[in-house]
Parts: sequence; structure tokens; C-alpha cells
Amino acid sequence: MSIQIPEGHCFHCGLPNVEGDRYPATILKIERLMCCPGCQAVATAIVNNGLESYYEFRTETAARGDAALDNALSQLAVYDEPELQEEFVFDVGKHKEIRLTVEGITCAACGWLIEKQLSKVKGLKQVSVNVAARRALVTWDDTEVKLSSILNRLKQIGYESLPFQSDQHEASYQSEQKSYLKKLGLAGLMTMQVMMLAMGQYFDLFGNIDNEMQRYFNWISLILTTPVVLFSGSVFYVSALKAVLAKTVNMDIPVTIAIVATYIAGIIAVNKDTGEVYFESICMFIFFLLISRFLEHRSRHKATQISSNMLKYIPVTANKWMGEKIESVLAKQLKVGDLVLVKAGETIPIDGIVTGGIAHVDESMLTGEFEPVKKQLNSMVYGGTLNQDGQISLKVTSTLKHAMVNQILRLQETALASKPSVALVADKLSRYFVIAVLAISALTYTYWSSQGNPEAFWICISILVATCPCALGLATPSALTCAMAKLNRTGILIKRADALEQLTHVTDVIFDKTGTLTEGKFTLVSKWLDTNTMTEEEILLFASSLEQCSEHPISSAFPVEQAKAVEQVEIVIGNGIKGIIDQKLCVIGSASFLSKHLSDFNGQVQQLGLDSPQEANVFFSVNKQLIAAFSVCDAVKKDVSSVIKNLDQYTTTILSGDSKNNVESIATNLGIKNKFSQCSPKQKLDYIAKLQIENKVTLMVGDGINDAPVLAASNVSVAVGNASDLARNAADVILISGNLPTLLDVIAMAKRTKRKIKQNIAWALSYNLLVLPFAMMGVLTPWQAALGMSLSSIIVVYNSTRLMR
Amino acid sequence: MSIIYVLIPLAIIIVGIAILVFFWAVKSNQFDDLERQGYSILFDDDLKKDTPKSEDKKQLND
Repeated sequence: MSIQIPEGHCFHCGLPNVEGDRYPATILKIERLMCCPGCQAVATAIVNNGLESYYEFRTETAARGDAALDNALSQLAVYDEPELQEEFVFDVGKHKEIRLTVEGITCAACGWLIEKQLSKVKGLKQVSVNVAARRALVTWDDTEVKLSSILNRLKQIGYESLPFQSDQHEASYQSEQKSYLKKLGLAGLMTMQVMMLAMGQYFDLFGNIDNEMQRYFNWISLILTTPVVLFSGSVFYVSALKAVLAKTVNMDIPVTIAIVATYIAGIIAVNKDTGEVYFESICMFIFFLLISRFLEHRSRHKATQISSNMLKYIPVTANKWMGEKIESVLAKQLKVGDLVLVKAGETIPIDGIVTGGIAHVDESMLTGEFEPVKKQLNSMVYGGTLNQDGQISLKVTSTLKHAMVNQILRLQETALASKPSVALVADKLSRYFVIAVLAISALTYTYWSSQGNPEAFWICISILVATCPCALGLATPSALTCAMAKLNRTGILIKRADALEQLTHVTDVIFDKTGTLTEGKFTLVSKWLDTNTMTEEEILLFASSLEQCSEHPISSAFPVEQAKAVEQVEIVIGNGIKGIIDQKLCVIGSASFLSKHLSDFNGQVQQLGLDSPQEANVFFSVNKQLIAAFSVCDAVKKDVSSVIKNLDQYTTTILSGDSKNNVESIATNLGIKNKFSQCSPKQKLDYIAKLQIENKVTLMVGDGINDAPVLAASNVSVAVGNASDLARNAADVILISGNLPTLLDVIAMAKRTKRKIKQNIAWALSYNLLVLPFAMMGVLTPWQAALGMSLSSIIVVYNSTRLMR
Repeated sequence: MSIIYVLIPLAIIIVGIAILVFFWAVKSNQFDDLERQGYSILFDDDLKKDTPKSEDKKQLND
């Protein structure tokens, strides 16, 4: 049942534990080792609250705990502000209600853990967790407990939660889903009842049924069928009516005619006590058609479940200068011209111009590049980006509504709206089919009634039912649903079902660079060492110990297994670090920083074996002696080159926001011909639009927020692994594992699915053509027609399920 | 056989109740998350009562 954590891995999050037994916790009576103080704190909180059975039954490891628990409460306090609450919090009677997106939910045990943890909070009225959608609905009494303390409580057990605002699209999907379920349930239950009565009549199970009993049965059937026809079947009439008003035809027109005609004929027959009734056929017909519609609805809109929270990137609070004092205000209240202070480690609340201070800002959310950008007097900074070090004050240049983040959001929305629509094969086919069916049944009716056949009406109904394009309608959605389920198991999420169908038409594959083709973080690529005075291990140990003192992303390239104590640390921002380790003066940093520190820098570089200082970008000296040089850059992910090779039938392109040099070297390395560097989100969008005008079908692979608009615009889009929520939101396919090779699986599956759809359509069409002559001759009664139609649909569904193997 | 005149309407009433219950279940979001509820039975509902206040007992390294 529960998962096994291998030796040497954190018991809580399952990541490798490099800290040994530094962070123990006793879980289920055994001492377990954690990888970090965050995981330890979370695990201890879970155990202390008596919720240990989480560890017994979980089927996935937890998300890694966040060590910064202490300052959480003060940050969360902003959620108690009435201005902020009015957007997300609803008043339900005396209580308040909020929907939260909860990050870190990995399996059903998490849902239990959250509900149990929260149910102990005094003043909390109700909490229900939806594991599939990663959301929680919380109702609480505001006089007894504050929202911030509820959020803090969740944070203690390792779940980050944010208020959630469902978009309109999703809300309408939810209500539609519910109405489908109701209709389906009603039709199913009623069909059983009506069928039971009909079977009694067909097989005469009660011995000899007299006329009175027959009439009684018919009346009961009529009563039971009425809600099915009026409520469950309404989907079809509405859609048929819409089609008629739009002067086109769709599958629902013959369906509507068949249902309504049979029902009215039934009422007349029951009243006059003459002729046939086919109530069970109507019920069965509606029930089966509804099943196919429901499946289709679900497969097409699976997307909305993972649409996640963009609010995360929209800053909430700001420190505003009020004369001499600083006051904490909501970012959305800031006006142009206000002065704002941003401390180190804080998110910049709004777009503005720097009026004082120097800082390095992580703009990865906007540009996709992880290398921090230096900001000084008069540079522009953007809301939502992260101030890594230094303190800056800025003057607001635009309100939050017009800030860069919101502009990107809007760009994405418009791109999504103008996405080329897909005309599904089955839809096109069924249109011709429907016209043919209507014409044939009309002709048959005229023919038989001119011949004076009293059965003319029922023959016409039989044709409509037998040739019902139900199987045809199921052909595509059932195959797509099965393919999605299969891919889901291998860690590939398909958000929009028809993306699979479109994948087979793709002509151009376009990649983002950072984070998609490359690791998206600094890695140690090559090193030059002088091992005369120190061994290789010692050099690396010293260098990494020194790097640990800095927050600069370059430091992540150095291993962290062990570290030595560093004294008198001095960090020169943008240049390097000085410090004393074991009474030795160690300096690490850029070439310019070291050349100031060392007397004969260039000479020493040559002694190390480098042709020029440009080959490396990090230099390390001990006691004024240069002993190492490192080349640290963003390395290409492994397996990427084989993926690119396998994609040789497509035109491949790199679209990146990075500098020309970096993009070119990666492109040549991987054999990608088309490359575009320093692209803004808008330029990327224009490139895709240009291709689409040339009738190319594009597949975009990306991960950053800056990719979100292109992902939305591309015919098919794939978000890779640790992509930002915004990118995930815009993409059609998400590779959860982050392995680019799974992209090939998706393409292979898309091809198989397409084949399956063709088989299904071929079967559905040939069955209908086969049965048509029999129906026209009047050999087929309506109930036989309905049964045949259902069997045909079941065969189609069965064929599709073979994709799951 | 006349019992059937009573039994069938009775069956209809029961089906009617079943439908109402089903509609109520749909309306109160019980079909939203089909993944989790299957696991609910595995978990202990009665939490140990000997841990009244978690914060008091929170001692990390022992």
C-alpha cells in the first residue's frame, strides 16, 4: 500500500538525503532521517498532531518542506486585509468561505491529512479537499479564527495555499458537468424501470397479460419516460434548435426528430389504446447518447482541472514611503508616482524606475533567463520579479493593472482566444451523413405511405434510430480519452484532447532554450586545477564552502555535500567572494575581480593551462595563488540531442530570450538550424503567427512565464516539467517528469490514436450503411434498431480501450 | 396479480427517492473528486486524544 523510501533518501519528501542523521524524526515508532529542517519540521508537526497514518497510506512522497516557516505568519497576515478578502472570500450566512489552491498535494493521503489537520482548528466549520484538482474549500467563523492562521496551519504540515479565483470558463464547465451527471443518472435509473416493464411484455413473463394490464404497463412506462424525454433529452433538442437557427445541420437533428416523434406517437397510442409503443427504446437511446456526450465533454475539458493560480505572480503588498515613515499597503492601491522600498529577498510589487540603491533582480519569470540582472539608478524594474540582494527604492511608473505581469497575462488570453480552431474529422463527416439520413428517411416514408403501408411511420423512425451517428460521435472522444488515460499513467498530462489529433499534423517544432533544452541553472561544465599544493577534493571543498556564502545562482553549480567554516566573509555583489578558510585567504569570482586581487593574473591563468581567460568564468585563488578556474554555464539536458535527432522530419527552431552567443552555441551543438535570440514574448508570438499564416502547424515546447503567450498561440504546445504555473496553464500537454524524451512518446501515441479513430469511424460508417437497407425494407423494428445502435457504440468503445494497453 | 397495482407505484416512489438522493449528491459536489474517497476507509478517524496541543509538545531533536 504505502510507498517504500530507499536508504539514504529523505523519509518525508523522498529526495536524496545528503545531511545524514542531522534531521531525525520518529515516525511510526521508528527513527527516520529527513533531508532538511523544513521536512523535519513538517514531519514533526504531522506526528505531533496524531496524523501519523498519513505515512502509512500515502502513495506518493510529499513535497519538500519549506525551511522558512518562521516569517510565514507575518507574510500571511496580509490575507486578513478586508480589501484583499473581498475578492476571494464569500459570506455564507454567519461564516466565511474561501476556495484555496493547495500546492504539494500528491496523493489521496494528503487530502486526509489536510482535512484532519484543519478540523482541529477552533472556529473552522468545514473543509473539503479535492485531490484531483488540488483545491480545498474552507468555511470558517471569522470571529474565532483568522484566515492567516488557517493558511499558517496548512503551511506547518507542508502545504502552501493561496486564495483561488476560478475563471468563468471553469465555472461554466463545472455547472455543465453537474447537469450532465444529473441527466445521465435520471436517464439510467428510468431506463432500468421502463426496460423491466417492457421485458415483461416482450417475453410475457407473467403468463398471459390481459389487455388491462398491458394498458397499465404502458401508462406507467409513459410516466417514467416523460422526465427522461423532457429533462435528460433536452441537451439534444437545444443543440438541434441552435443548429437550425444557424441554418446548418448536426447530429442532434435526426436524434431530436426520432425522440420527439416516437414519444408523441407513444402518447397517442396509449390514449387511443391502439398501436405500438417504444418507450424503452427512447430511454435506452437517450441514455446511450448521453453517455457518449458525457465522455466527450469530460475529455475535451479536462484542461480546466489543472488551470492554476496566477495570483502567485501578482504581488500583494508593498512598503510605501509616507513622508519619513514606511507603511505596508496593498500593491493594487499604489498610484503612479508613489515611492516604494524593496528590501532584499522581497518580490518587487509593481513596475517602476529605480531612484536609489543597487540590486540584482531575478527576472526569470518575465524573460525565462535565470541569471540575475543588475539594477541601479534609472533602471526599470517589473512587478513580480524577485530582488535577490541589496535594497532599492523605486518610483511607480504604472499601476498594477497595467504592470508587465498583467500585460503578459492579457497577451496570453488573447492568444488563446485566437488559437486556430480544429475541425474534427468526425464532425465534418457526420454533417454530410445527417443530411443523407434525413433525406433517406423522408423518401422512405413517402414511398411506404404511397404504398399504403400502415408501418410507414415506424420504418421511418427505425431508419433514424438505426443510423444514429452515435458510434460515429463516440469514435473520436472515446479514443482520445483512452489515449489520455494511458499517457497520464506515464506522467504526461494532456489538457486539451484534440491536441493529440493535431499533433499528427505538426510541421514545425519550436523550442524555448533555458529550462527546456538546458538545465535552467548553472552547472560546472569544465575545470582547470593546479594540484601542486592542494588535492582536487580540497580545492572543490574550499571553493564550494566559499560559494555557499552567496545567494548568486552560480553558487548552485558547486557541490554542497560538505562545507568548511568560512570567516570574515566579504561579498562584492556581481564580482565575487573573499573569505578565510583554515587561516588561508581564499578569493573566488570573476576574472576582473581576481585580476585586481592578484598581481600577475594573466600569467597565472596561462600556467593553469587555459589559452585565454575567456574560456572560464569563475576563478579561485588561495593565498594570492591562482589554483583553479571553472567554466560554469547552463548545460544542455542529457537526452536532448537524441530527441532532436528523432525529430528530423520536422523543422526545428529555437526561440529564446537569451543572448545571441549562448543561443548559437546551443543550436550548433544540437543541430538546430533556425535560431532566434533576444526575443520578447511579443516577438515570439509574432514568429508563431507568421508560421501559422504560411499554413504551418506548430508545436511549441517551453517552460517559462515568458513562453506562456506563445504556448497559448501555438497549435499544439508542451510545457516541460518544472514549468511555471502560467506556462502549464497555457500549454496543451504537460510533461510532468520533465524528461524531454517523453515528447516522442506523446507523438507516437498521437499517431496510434489517429489510426484508432480512423478504424472507429470506418466501423461506425459501415455498420450504419449495412443496417440501412434492412431499416428501409421495414425488417427492423425500432427496438431492434436501438439495440443494434448500442452494440455498435460498445464495439467502438471497446476498440478504443485497446489503446490503454 | 392485483398486487402489482400496488407494487409498481411503490417501486416508482422508491426510484423517485433514489433520484432525489442522487441529485442532492451531485449538487453537493460529491462527484467532484472520485480519487480520494476510496482511501478514506483506510485512515483512522479517531485521532489519539493524548495530544491536546501540538505546539506544547513540539520538541524537534530527542
